[in-house]
Order: sequence, then structure tokens, then C-alpha cells
Amino acid sequence: MLEESSFEPKIIAFCCNWCSYAGADLAGGMRLKYSSTIRPIRVMCSGRISPHFIIKAFQEGADGVLVTGCHIGDCHYMKGNYITAKRVAILRELFNFIGISPERLRLEWVAASEGDKFARVADEFTEKIKTLGPSSIKNISFNK
Amino acid sequence: MEALKNEVETLLREGTISAFLGMKLIKGQSIPFLFTHPDDLEQLTIGEARYPLAKIILIAHKYPDHHLGIMVRGCDEKALIELYRNKQLDRCKLVPMGVACSGELAEKCNCSKPYPSQFIVGEAREISFDRAILEKIESLPLDERFGYWINQLGKCIKCYGCRNICPVCFCEVCTLEDAPLIPLGKIPPEVPAFHLSRAFHMAGRCIDCGLCEEGCPVDIPLRTLYRKVREIVQELFDYLPGEDKEVVAPLQILGDGSFEITEGNP
Repeated sequence: MLEESSFEPKIIAFCCNWCSYAGADLAGGMRLKYSSTIRPIRVMCSGRISPHFIIKAFQEGADGVLVTGCHIGDCHYMKGNYITAKRVAILRELFNFIGISPERLRLEWVAASEGDKFARVADEFTEKIKTLGPSSIKNISFNK
Repeated sequence: MEALKNEVETLLREGTISAFLGMKLIKGQSIPFLFTHPDDLEQLTIGEARYPLAKIILIAHKYPDHHLGIMVRGCDEKALIELYRNKQLDRCKLVPMGVACSGELAEKCNCSKPYPSQFIVGEAREISFDRAILEKIESLPLDERFGYWINQLGKCIKCYGCRNICPVCFCEVCTLEDAPLIPLGKIPPEVPAFHLSRAFHMAGRCIDCGLCEEGCPVDIPLRTLYRKVREIVQELFDYLPGEDKEVVAPLQILGDGSFEITEGNP
């Protein structure tokens, strides 16, 4: 088990192409510094993020998963993010019941103009995961 | 029992239905059987064993011109409603014949509604659902809950029994056989991803019949897991699968944007 001070979490961030990925890009363009624990994955819409992606990310050793998309009403595909909100809500409750802290899964709406929000969310989320420690899924012996 | 037999016989003879899916008594065992001739009805039985008849009747697909009769218990009826809702079966093509479960069976199944809306055999019994196991797990601290589930799910031999017996699992291509997601030839399967994936699919679908747990050869408390998913969906979306209402399931549609989480997710 790693000590908390040296623990660098792995965080998978799913970003929708039209808002959040552009937002993350803007954060870079604005030369904002944010935590290097974030590994962004671009998807065309947050509605494309199947719950299996999130479950698989945790299974493969992610300490946290950040799901980002356009604000409600701003979706490029009109309604894609509506289902994302529902899925994440169910998954958080399910994780809680199975014994994975629901705080490891976070949903955030980031618009293309919100570079600062992306950087802030990334930092906040990293801090949160650091306090929670490494994900216990990584310690399951028979998965190795 | 005789009432059911007579009713089915009449329907078969007058040609209202071409076949009846019920239980047949063979060497002391009751097994599902598709009765096509009234003379076969001698061996029609009800029995104490439950089978996912609602799933078996998906054969109706192959015979779209025929009307089929089916024996339904309370749980079968709920499954049928979900299958109608997901456009897997045509309500007009089926003639359900209700059977209320015996008190013994209802008790064993921990069933909250052991009778369909209309039934020919048996009597309606009210049994209150015992939530004790769920409450026990909920009361554990987070890490102990995790340990409990990992121990339980780690027993899995990946027989797919839970999926195969589930009356509301009807997809032709199953996510659980998707090799990039669930690696092939690995026992136990990836814990908890395998079971979480299936649990998520039960959201807005699980009718709480408990066949998965009955069918599980290694006694994983699957019903408890799916029961919780059912409660989550009920709490978040006020939707209870298996209720005969003119509504769509929350995950069947994208929605109108009215549901957006704020609580506990700043």
C-alpha cells in the first residue's frame, strides 16, 4: 500500500468533443496549471459514455472517473447529456451499495468557454481522490 | 387446477389459441411444455417449481400469425409487462391464464405479490417483503460492504445462468459476451465489473422474481443486488418495473432534461 503523500491517483476523464474537450483545450490555451493525474479520453458525446466504460475504467485500476459533458440544453446532439445524468446517478448509488465510494465518480458540465472550470474541477477532484486513497479494486487478489 | 384445464381445453378446441405454454408432469417433474393438442392436457400441471415462462414464450416471435396461451404467476405477469413495454412481445397475440401461487411458494420466494391481476386457480395472499438482508448490508461500513461483495462475487463460475434464466433479459447480442469488455476464458470473471455490468442492465427492468438467485449454482446473493438496483431506480425516477402503466422506462428514452443531479455532486 502506498503512503498517502506519495500517492498519485489515476483519473480517467471522459470529455465530450464539443464542449468539455474544447474546455480542456482552452485550459491549456490559457496556460492554466492543473493536476497531471487527469487522463482525458475524447468521446463524441457524453451520451456515448456507456456505463461499461466507467465500470471498466475502475476495473483496470482507475482511482477516479470524471465524466464531463455539455451543460443541459447545450448538447450538440440536443439530448445526449440527458441520459448521462441518469446513468451517472444510478451508477453512483450502485457503487455505494457495492462498497466503492460514490465520490470516485463525478459528473460535471463543462462548456467550451470554461477552461478555468475544467482546471478547477480537475484539481478539486484530484484532492478528493487523494483523501480517499487508492481504489480497493486494485487489491483484489484473484483479478491479478 | 381443473378449472385451468377446462379453460385451456375450450380455448384450444375453439381455436382461439394455437398452443398453450404451461407445465407438464413428466416422471414426477413439472417442466415447461407447449401444448398444441387438447388431448395432451391430461398431463397439465401447475407444480411448485418456477420457470421463466415469460421468456420461453418469446418463441411467439417465430409464429406471428398465431395466438398463444400462457400460464402466468405474479412474477410471469410482471415479466410479460416489461417485455410488452420493450416491444419484445405483442400483447394482442397472448392469452394469459393466471395462477396464484401457494402460500408455501410465496413464502419461499419472499414475494410481495404472489398472484397476477386475474387468476383462475388459487387465492390471493398478501405477504410483506422482508428487507432484512438488504438492511444488513446497507448498515455495514463501506470497506466491509466491499469485502462482502467481493467475496460473494468472487465465487462466480461465469456460467451465465443468471442471464439465461432472467425473464427480462432478451438482447440478441449480450454485453457480457463482448470480449474487449469481459475477457474470455477467465474464471472468476473480472470482479466486480462482470456483475456490475449486469446489475446496471437490470436498472428499470428487474421485476424482482428472484430466479437469478435460485438458478445460481454458487449461491451469490444476486437478488439482493438487483433488488437494490430496483430500489435505486424507484427512488430516482419513481419507476417500478412490472407495473401495468402507460409509461416508458427511464433508461428507454433520453428524457426531457428534467432530471439532472445536483445533490451530493457539486
